[in-house]
Amino acid sequence: MKGLVAGPVPAFVLRRAGATVLLLLALSLLVFGLLYLAPGDVARNLLGTRNVTPEALAEIRARYHLDEPFLQQYWRWLTHAVTGDFGTSIRTGRPIGPLMLEKTGITAATAGLAFLLSVLVGIPAGIVTAVRRGRWLDRVLVTASVVGVSAPGFAIGLLLLYVFALGLGWFPIYGTGEGFLDGLWHLALPAIALALGLGAFVVKLTRAAVIRELDQDYVTFARGRGLSEAATLRVVLRNAAIPIVTSLGLMVAYLFGGTVLIEVTFALPGLGALMEESVLFKDVPVVQALTLAVALVVSVTAFLVDLSYLLIDPRVRARTVRR
Amino acid sequence: MSGSPDRRRRRIPVVAILSAVLLAFVAICALAQEIIAPKALEQDIYLGVVGGGVEGHLFGTDQLGRDILQLSLAGARSALAGPLVVALGSMLIGFLLGTYAGYRGGVVDMLAGRYADLLLALPAVLLAIVVAGLVGRGYWVTVAVLIVLFSPSDVRLVRGAVIEQTPRPYIESARVLGIRPSRIMFRHIAPNIVPIVVANLLLNVAFALVALSSLSYLGLGVPPGAPDWGRQLADGRQLLGDNPLAAVVPGVLIILTATAVNLLGDWLSDLLDRRVVAR
Amino acid sequence: MTTPATASDRAVGRAPMLAVRDLRVTSASGAIVAGLDLTVAPGETVAIVGESGSGKSMTVKALTGLLPEGVRAAGRMELPGRASGHSLEIDLAAPGGAWREVRGSRVALLLQDPFTSLSPVHRCGEQIGWAISGPGRAERVARLLAEVGLPADVAGKYPFQLSGGMRQRVAIAAGLAADPDLLIADEPTTALDVTTQHEVLELIARLQCERDMGLILITHDLRLARSRADRVMVMYAGRLIEEGPIARVMDAPAHPYTARLAACDPPLTHRLPALPTIPGSVPRPWSVADECAFAARCAFAVDACRTAEPRLAEVSEGHRAACLRPETAASPVDGAAADGAAAPIRREVDAAPQDAAADGGQDAQAASGAPAASAPIGPEADAAPPGAAADGAASPPLLSVEGLAKRFPGSAVPALDGVDLEIAAGEAVAVVGESGSGKTTLARCVVGLERADDGRITFHGAATGARRVQIVFQDPYSALNPGLTVGTSLAEALRAAGRPKSEVGELLELVGLPAAYARRRPRALSGGERQRVAIARALAPRADLLVCDESVSALDVSVQAQVLNLLADLRRRLGLTLLFITHDLAVARQIADRVYVMHHGRVVETGPVDSVLGDPAHEYTQRLLASIPAADQAN
Repeated sequence: MKGLVAGPVPAFVLRRAGATVLLLLALSLLVFGLLYLAPGDVARNLLGTRNVTPEALAEIRARYHLDEPFLQQYWRWLTHAVTGDFGTSIRTGRPIGPLMLEKTGITAATAGLAFLLSVLVGIPAGIVTAVRRGRWLDRVLVTASVVGVSAPGFAIGLLLLYVFALGLGWFPIYGTGEGFLDGLWHLALPAIALALGLGAFVVKLTRAAVIRELDQDYVTFARGRGLSEAATLRVVLRNAAIPIVTSLGLMVAYLFGGTVLIEVTFALPGLGALMEESVLFKDVPVVQALTLAVALVVSVTAFLVDLSYLLIDPRVRARTVRR
Repeated sequence: MSGSPDRRRRRIPVVAILSAVLLAFVAICALAQEIIAPKALEQDIYLGVVGGGVEGHLFGTDQLGRDILQLSLAGARSALAGPLVVALGSMLIGFLLGTYAGYRGGVVDMLAGRYADLLLALPAVLLAIVVAGLVGRGYWVTVAVLIVLFSPSDVRLVRGAVIEQTPRPYIESARVLGIRPSRIMFRHIAPNIVPIVVANLLLNVAFALVALSSLSYLGLGVPPGAPDWGRQLADGRQLLGDNPLAAVVPGVLIILTATAVNLLGDWLSDLLDRRVVAR
Repeated sequence: MTTPATASDRAVGRAPMLAVRDLRVTSASGAIVAGLDLTVAPGETVAIVGESGSGKSMTVKALTGLLPEGVRAAGRMELPGRASGHSLEIDLAAPGGAWREVRGSRVALLLQDPFTSLSPVHRCGEQIGWAISGPGRAERVARLLAEVGLPADVAGKYPFQLSGGMRQRVAIAAGLAADPDLLIADEPTTALDVTTQHEVLELIARLQCERDMGLILITHDLRLARSRADRVMVMYAGRLIEEGPIARVMDAPAHPYTARLAACDPPLTHRLPALPTIPGSVPRPWSVADECAFAARCAFAVDACRTAEPRLAEVSEGHRAACLRPETAASPVDGAAADGAAAPIRREVDAAPQDAAADGGQDAQAASGAPAASAPIGPEADAAPPGAAADGAASPPLLSVEGLAKRFPGSAVPALDGVDLEIAAGEAVAVVGESGSGKTTLARCVVGLERADDGRITFHGAATGARRVQIVFQDPYSALNPGLTVGTSLAEALRAAGRPKSEVGELLELVGLPAAYARRRPRALSGGERQRVAIARALAPRADLLVCDESVSALDVSVQAQVLNLLADLRRRLGLTLLFITHDLAVARQIADRVYVMHHGRVVETGPVDSVLGDPAHEYTQRLLASIPAADQAN
C-alpha cells in the first residue's frame, strides 16, 4: 500500500491521461473529417448572397485555407484550437473562443442545476426503491422513472412551460433574468425539465446497483452476525458507490445531448442554442469547436471517474500497485 | 432446484397490458394512416385556434389551419417506422459484429472496441444533430445516421453477452467436438443471448423515438409540413398562447408511446431473465 | 413426542441453549421444511445432514430470520438465558423486532463461501469491528484475529488480498465478534481445499470448546458430520427422517435413506466393485403428501409406507427415526462388503426404467446399476476392469505428455511447470490436487482448449485427430445448451464426427437413459441426467480418451455414485480410457488404476492408486490424506 504515494499510482494516472489525450486526438480527427466531408461548399456559404464569381470563391478559399490538403488544414485547426483559437464564426463573423465563453455561463448553470437536482433526488429515491423492493412505493417510483427516462426533455419542457409559466404564471416564460435569485428563478423550469430525465436515469441505475449488492452473500452474513439494518445499508451503499459513480460519469454526456433541446425550447442563449443555430446555418467552424469542447468535457469526466476508482475501489488500487 | 418455473405467480402486470394496448393503437394509426386521418394535411381557414371554437376540430388547428387530432394520429407513422428501423438496424450490426468480435476476438474485436470507444465518447443525440444537420436532412438519412450512432452500444452489449457464454461447458464441449465456429456462434451462442437482444431492441425503439423526434423538433429529419410529433411540438411552441393543445397533444403522445415501449421492454426483460434463471 | 429438553439432556447432559419446536418453512410453491424440532446445548455440536433440496439451508436461514423474500417460517424458538442474559421466546411466524436481540450476541451465522461473504471494499479489521460497540474496538479486533490464528496485520488488509482459508478465518472472527452462544455454520468448508478444510474445522472445534458455544453444522458430508458432531439430524425432502447421537446413527442407521446415503459415499481405503446407489432423485418437499417421502426410492417400502407419513419414533435411547421398518435399514449395511448392500437396490433398479420414462422430472433410474448387477462380483473380486490395471504396463501408451509448461499472462506462478504423464489404452488415470495445482489446466491442454507454452502432447496409435479425446466438465447445469433438445445436441455431435443421426437413441441407452429423452430439453433433466447426456455427447465421436474434469464434484453423493458406476461400466464395455481430474481422493480411489498427485503445477507423486493412497511417499500426499475428515475414524 506504500505504492500509493511512491510511483505506481502516478504511472496509472499518466497512462489514463495518455489514453484520454489519444482518444481526444482521434475524436478531433473524426469531427474535423466529418465536417470536411460534409456536402455543401463552405466557401459559397461564406459568400452568402454576394455575387458568386470564381475569383471571389478562390479568394475566400485562400483566406480560409480551404485550398490546402486535408491533413494540413486539420493540423492548422488543431494547433490553433489547443491555444483556444477556434477561428471565426461564419454566421456572426466573431472569433469563436469568446463567443463560446460568453455563452458557457448559462449552459453550465442550467446543466449544473439539473445535475444537482437529479443526483440529490435520484440517488435517495433509488436507494429507497431498492430497499423497499416490490412494495407499492417501489412500483410507483419505478414506473415514474420509466416515464422520466422515456419522455424527451423538450416535450417535458413544453408541458412545464404551458402549465407553470403560461397557466399558473409561477415562472417566467423566456429570458435569463438579472442577478442570482432572478437568474435561478428563470433557470428553474429548464433545469427541472433537464433533471427529470436525468433523475429518472439515476433512480434506475441506483436501484439496480443497490439491489445487486443487497443480494450478495456479505449482506446475509452481516445481518446474520447481528449488524443493524442501518449498518448493513451503510456497507451496501459503500459497495454500490462504485457503479453509481460510473453512471454519474455517463450522465455528463447525456446532459449535453439534452441541453441543446432545452435551450431551444426555453430560448436560452447558451451553448446548446448556439449549436442548433450553427448547425442549421452550417457554421462549420463553430460546430467543430463546440463538438470538440463537448468531447473534451466528456473525456475528462471519464478520466476523473477512472481516477475516482483509486479512491473508492481498493481492488483497482491494488491492481495498479501490482503492475 | 431446477425444473419448470412456477407458473402460478406469473401474471401479466396491468402496466404491460396498458402499454401493449396503447402501442397497438399507435401501430394501427401508423398502418392505416390514410383511413384514420384522411384530412391530416388539409388546411382550414381557421389558423391556430382552440377546439370548440371551430366546428369539426376537437383539439383546434395549428398555424397552417390543420386539424390537431388528425395530424397527431397521422404522426404515428413517423413515430414508429423510423425508430423500428433504427432499432432493428443497429441491433443487426450489433448482433453480427458483437457475436463475431466476442467469440473470435483478435483484430475485429480490437477495431470494434475502438470504434465503440470513439462514438460513445460523444453524446449520440448531439452527434446526430451535427451529422443530420450537415450531411442531410431527410427522414431516412437521419434514420441511417442513428443506426450508425446506436450500433456501438449494441456491439458492446452483444459482445459482453457472448464473452459471458463462451467459457461455459456447453460451448467448450462443442469446440472439443470439432463443431465449426460459425455454427457455434450462430446456433449455440446466438439463441442464448436472444433475451438480452430482444429486451434491448425495445429499449432502443423508445430511445430512437425520442432521438428522432428531437431531431425533427430542431427542424432536422422530416421535411417541413410532414405529420410528425416532434415537428408539431416545434410548431406548437409558437402557438402556446393561442392553442396550447397543438403542443400538448403530440407531446403527451410522444411521452406515452416511449413510456409504453420502455415498460414493455422492462417487463419482457424481467420475464426472459426469470426464464433464463429457471433453466 | 418427547420434549426437546430431555432429548438434549441425554445427548450432552446440559440444558439446551436453543430449542425450536415445529419449525415450518413455506414458499409460494409449498412447504420447504415440514415440521422440525431442534435443540442445541452449550458445547454441543449438532450436524444437519442432507442432499441438495433437503431443506437444511432453509432451516438455518429460518433460525436467523434471513429467509429470502416470499419464504415464510412458522414455529417457536426458545433461547433460555445463559449467565446474565435473559430468556427469549420467539414466534417465528411473527418475530417482530426479536432478531435484533438474537443475531450476533445469541446466534451467529457463518456462510459457505468465504469469497463472497465479506464486503470486498472494506478492510478486514473494520468488518470484524462492525459488530463491536463501545471502546477498545481495535484491541478486541486484534484479540479476535489472534483467536482465529491470524497475524494482526490482517486487520489492515482487504479480503481480496487473502487466501480462501484466511478469509474464512476472518469471517469466523467477525461472526464471533459479538460473542454468540451459538454458531451456525452452513457448509463452512465446502468451498475450501481439503487441507484448508481440515484447519478451519479444527479452528471451529477449538473455538467452540474454549467459548463453550453450541454449534449447528450444516453439511452434505456424512463423513464430516461423523468426525465433528455429537448429534446428527438427517433431513430428506424437507423432513427430519432420523436423529440421534452420531455414533449410533452412523453405526446402526434406522432409516433406509441414512443407510443408503452412508453407503453411497465412496470409501477412501479400498475400491468397491460397484458403488451402491439410490435410484431416482430427491422429490420436491411440497410434492410429498401422506406417504413416506423416501418410499418411492426405498427397497424396503411396504404399502403402509405409501398411505401415511411415518412419525419420528424412538429406536434406542435418543435415537429416533421416521420409518415404519427401522430394523430393515440397518441390516444390509451390517454386511462386511457394501456390494451386499447394493443387492436389494439393484433389483429395484432393474424394474425401474419404464417408471422413469413416465415419471416427469425424476431422475432416470440409475441404470448404471444394471450392468453392475449383471456381472457376478463377489466381495473378493478385483474391482479393476479386466485387462486395464493388470497389464497396464504392457499395453501401448495412448497418450503421453512430456514437459508440459504453461503460465497464464499476468500470473506470478506457472499453472503447469514441466508435467509428464502417460496413459495406456484402456487405463483409468486420476490426477488429484487442490485448487491452483494445475490439474484443470492439464486437462484443458490435453483436449486442446488451452495451448501449452512448452512441452509435447502425443497421441499414439492409428488415426490421430482432435476428436479422439473428449471432455466432460464439472457443472451439469451449463453442460448442455439450454435451447436445444437432448436429441439435437447429440445429433450435432454425431454429425460433427461423421456418424448418422440415428445413433442418438443408442447413445442415450449407453449412458443409461431412455431413448425418449432425446425430445427433452436440459431444463427438464436433473443434474445427474444432464451429466449423463454430457457423457453421451462426449462418446458420440467414438472417443478413445475421455477427460473428466471434476465431472462428479457438483453432484449429490447418491447421484455421484451413479455416475461413477456408469463410467466404470463404460470402460468395461467400450474399452474407454479415462483421465479423471478430481480433488476428491476417495473418488480417485474408486475410479482410477493409477494416480498422479499435483501440487503447484508439478507432479509430486505418481503410482498405482493402492500404493499412492495407501502408502504415500511424498509429504504433500501425506498431508492431503491426513486432512480428509474421518480418515482417523476409519482406522
